[in-house]
Amino acid sequence: MSNADIALMAHLMRRAGFGASRNELEQKVAQGYESVVEDLLNPGSPNAMPDDLIRRFHVDMAEMRELNSAGAYWIYRMVTTDNPLEEKMALFWHSLFATGYSKLNQARSLMNQIDTFRRHSMGSFHTLLVELSKDPAMIIWLDNNDNHKGDINENYGRELLELFSMGIGNYTEDDVKECARAFTGWTLGNAEYMATRASRDSIWPYSRIAWHFQYRDHDHDDGEKTFLGQTGNFNGEDIIDIIVRQEASARFICTRLFQFFAADEVTEAGEAVISDMMATYFDSKYEIRSVLRTLFNSAYFKSDDPRFARVKGPVELVVGAVRLAGTYREPTFGADQLARYTLYMGQGIFQPPSVEGWHEGSEWIDSGALVERVNFVGKELGDPRNPGVQALIDRMSADVDGPLSGAAQVDACADLLGPIVLSDTTRTSLSEFAGEQGAADLREGSRTEADDQRIANLLRLLTATREYQLA
Amino acid sequence: MTTTNKSRSLVVIQLAGANDPLNTVIPYTDGLYYDFRPNVGIPTDQVIPIDGRLGFNPNMAPIKSLWDEGKVAMVNGIGYPNPNRSHFRSMDIWHTCEPEKVASEGWLGRVIRDLDPQGQNVITGVNFGRGLPRSMGAPGVPVASVGNLETYGLFPDVEEERIRGLCLDAFGKMYGGTIQDAVMDYLGQTGRDALKGADILRTAPENYSSTVEYADNPIAQALKNAAQVMTADLGTRIYYTQHGSFDTHGDEVKVQGGLWQQVSGAVSDFMADLEEHGKSDEAVVLIWTEFGRRIRDNGSGTDHGSGGTAFIIGNQVNGGFYGEYPSLADRDQLDGDLHFNNDFRSTYSTIADQWLGLDAVPIVNGQFEQWDFIRS
Amino acid sequence: MTTAVAAGAVEYLKTIGLTTNQSGRGFTNPYDCAFTSDGRILILNRCDTVRASLVRIGMMNWEEDYLGEFSRGYGRGDGQWIFPVAMAVDNSTVVYVTDEQQHRITALDTQGNFVRQWGELGTDSGQMNAPAGIALSGDQTLYVVEQGNNRVQRFTTSGESLGMWGEAGDGPGQFNMPWGVGLDSSGNVYVADWRNDRVQKFTADGQFMASYGSSGTGDGQFSRPSGVCVDSAGYIYVSDWGNERVQILDPDGGFVQLLRGQATLSKWAQDFMSVNPDERNTREMSNLTPELPAHLDTPYLISSQIEPYFWGPVSVRLDSEERLYVVESNRHRIQVYQRRKD
Repeated sequence: MSNADIALMAHLMRRAGFGASRNELEQKVAQGYESVVEDLLNPGSPNAMPDDLIRRFHVDMAEMRELNSAGAYWIYRMVTTDNPLEEKMALFWHSLFATGYSKLNQARSLMNQIDTFRRHSMGSFHTLLVELSKDPAMIIWLDNNDNHKGDINENYGRELLELFSMGIGNYTEDDVKECARAFTGWTLGNAEYMATRASRDSIWPYSRIAWHFQYRDHDHDDGEKTFLGQTGNFNGEDIIDIIVRQEASARFICTRLFQFFAADEVTEAGEAVISDMMATYFDSKYEIRSVLRTLFNSAYFKSDDPRFARVKGPVELVVGAVRLAGTYREPTFGADQLARYTLYMGQGIFQPPSVEGWHEGSEWIDSGALVERVNFVGKELGDPRNPGVQALIDRMSADVDGPLSGAAQVDACADLLGPIVLSDTTRTSLSEFAGEQGAADLREGSRTEADDQRIANLLRLLTATREYQLA
Repeated sequence: MTTTNKSRSLVVIQLAGANDPLNTVIPYTDGLYYDFRPNVGIPTDQVIPIDGRLGFNPNMAPIKSLWDEGKVAMVNGIGYPNPNRSHFRSMDIWHTCEPEKVASEGWLGRVIRDLDPQGQNVITGVNFGRGLPRSMGAPGVPVASVGNLETYGLFPDVEEERIRGLCLDAFGKMYGGTIQDAVMDYLGQTGRDALKGADILRTAPENYSSTVEYADNPIAQALKNAAQVMTADLGTRIYYTQHGSFDTHGDEVKVQGGLWQQVSGAVSDFMADLEEHGKSDEAVVLIWTEFGRRIRDNGSGTDHGSGGTAFIIGNQVNGGFYGEYPSLADRDQLDGDLHFNNDFRSTYSTIADQWLGLDAVPIVNGQFEQWDFIRS
Repeated sequence: MTTAVAAGAVEYLKTIGLTTNQSGRGFTNPYDCAFTSDGRILILNRCDTVRASLVRIGMMNWEEDYLGEFSRGYGRGDGQWIFPVAMAVDNSTVVYVTDEQQHRITALDTQGNFVRQWGELGTDSGQMNAPAGIALSGDQTLYVVEQGNNRVQRFTTSGESLGMWGEAGDGPGQFNMPWGVGLDSSGNVYVADWRNDRVQKFTADGQFMASYGSSGTGDGQFSRPSGVCVDSAGYIYVSDWGNERVQILDPDGGFVQLLRGQATLSKWAQDFMSVNPDERNTREMSNLTPELPAHLDTPYLISSQIEPYFWGPVSVRLDSEERLYVVESNRHRIQVYQRRKD
């Protein structure tokens, strides 16, 4: 098993998942790259933390009244799932179709939206857009409950075209209006009461009432519409039918997938991959699974180009650290804080800064966010009592035949955390730190708690590096 | 006045959860008040009278003293058109000055950018609390969010002091030097900023001493931290903190009273502390909340309403009433709420322009009439 | 058959309570209720993490007058709670509360004075692991169900252990994370064997007598039952938490009736509606039991959408008039039913 194979598999698992331990990587390399990709694309049972245990232990996650309860519940799932790509895709759709609690005051319905994203995460983009248009949280978020026959509200119609499918410049203002007309009557059950409660943040009398879709035929404008040059008595599904067939939609969705899974910046080589993804998009009848397969199996994806070419988003960072540390594997006191940490780092789940979602790439990081990132990850991986840290040190100890010098400790830790490639400055600084702490003797018989603590301290510092901020 | 604009600072206190204005500044001689508040009214004999019409909540005696000294401007009937009664949404509107759509830039973020356009001081804005308040968020504007000043910065949970020192030392080296990669270079600068901000802020408590003893509650400790930073002359201009929850749907008299006792005491101690350090001409405190509450009580508390009261407090404030106290009569209500009569962006504009010397229009997204609560 | 079903069936009386996010009148994730001999209804408010500091016992009466509240607050100090689960009241109106996070029982009087506490994490006699349900027998013996130790432990009201029974497993007398406990008038003990989806019946000293139910959604089947109580005629009431419903069994365990919930506005809820006309008006034009899309198909998701249905029924208790109180954590209320007098 070559180091290059391990490094490539680590790359795949950072992108299509939330990272993996060395043992997992070795198993996957043995299984074979393309077979692993197929497993990721075709998830089975998630075997995630069971709902009954969560709801019995966490009263707040049972009721799901609070924003952060929903966020933490989702993080539990991301941390414990056997299907990391499924969750990563749900996160992708949440980033793209960013819906905010601030206007909804409805966490359960937001979690239902994530369930919908998960259910359709890698299927047809057509189906997903139809389900998105029927999603009651999205309906309130973009005012489609105010979009009536003869009195349109074009907010959803516009964002569907601008933010969710084609992008600006590919349609006219008339198309926006016609699109909005087609979605009249797409609302939620008891829309007036639910909108009143949302606008008043009401939990009265008996807590939140979650939402469901309702189609009001009498409020639907059944008249003739002309949309992107086609004319007919279009309803919402017909509009989406036309949207998904556009070249602009293919480019839009493939580019966004590329930036989420491959690299923040699209290079020339990246453009070629996007073209291949677009061809797959049409060949497969808009199937996201096929598009992802094209990306993951491309020579570009496996090359050095996209390696560490993305800044980790806060949710990825938190989930990756927790998965590696082996914490929060069962309902845990204080777990409700998990979602707050991602907010402190700039990515509050269900709290997009605007309808356009988050500014990603290096904009994830400012000085405040960096402090939060370093401190959170350091706390998880700097504690030798955490099972994942213990396992990592055990793994390291299996390979040693003498006390490890500072530089040797750094190389071993960087290898097991990634492998991560360190700059000379970083490696030298870490080695000096490790040298100051003293040699660690991990051989059986001589290994002490102090040795473990030294390694954990080094892991803490390693996760504070610039290099660790990249995926 | 010897104070230069450069030393003027603004301390913002957000009363989270929506403070009830009617039980803060009480129209204690208006029979309608007692008609509408049979269960959560403040008895006449407990009110601290201001004049023959209005009085303070009994827990606001320290604010009343400041009022008597002419240091408190009270803006009654503050709000904005088409009031939203959802906490998050209404807070967003106050934070971003954008009532129509979901915006992402906070008004104080713009203030900080205008005060320090080059971003030379990474602690021009400091928030006492976790996370970044939306008011202070703006692209490229650094803000330090301080949970606890004593442990602020990197690696707070490394217990061994020597190891923490080594970590910080190594961090400085790792983030130093130039690298031929835009992202890595940016990360390096950001890391050095973070380290610098923490280094500066941590010096504040070490050099601080005061005879003022703050109470042991979050708002008092936050204002103590603010005083520590202010007296250390680190160039911080905007201080932010919040306290709550004022969301008194139930048990209002007890809950709101307790919170005001804490806020009043903390503000009063803070003013005394600044006085002791010769800083009291340099700071203005703004106290705001996202909306008011229903005029009619619900049997135990009050539900979400509109129309509120804001306070501006400081030596350089022209104390007194600003804005009209809204009428409680049925015909004057707005869907069962107090009717606002002045836009919160007037208050913001006054502070940005007259106190901080900035062009208020781009900060609050428009031209708004200003008050004269800042001494000229 | 119709007559057989009717015997033992209950009918809906009313709903009490109202959600609140503050102290005082209203419930905050109620987890259990109890009754004093002077007619007070006590409600244990567990509270979620955001409102943890409001953990308390509220008091009211059948006429829905609010009568105050008490607690020692949230925390690890004497008499304080982190995750309280259930309570029982003795002859002297001392209230015993289990705390599954601190592995102990605290006893307070209804003025909130600290009386005593006992227990710590462990498996020995007198130690506990995540105590959940608690019930008090006529002879003032406390029965405490330990979720983590999979056993029932008996105590005197002064905290002396009187023995225990049970172990992990799914056989007779074995448990999987049990929760609630109830006693019948003969002193037999009924345990909601939560993760085994059944109710087990024991003699007062722990001899296995019977087991009722199996996993499922059918009549007489359970999904994660949380609470159980038994009336003077021997009818067994079970809060079928995972199925978001209540089931009534006859004294032999035969299925009698299934309740899905039919909450209406409590007196306090009517107070709220009277001062919030925009909510009242739009509510009045709503259908609160709507048809749902097919993907919202679990009892939990359905209950999150349909307000009158039970959502998070964590406990069932009977007052001195044998009215049945169903405590709903997620809806911050109690629905009250009563067996038909026939």
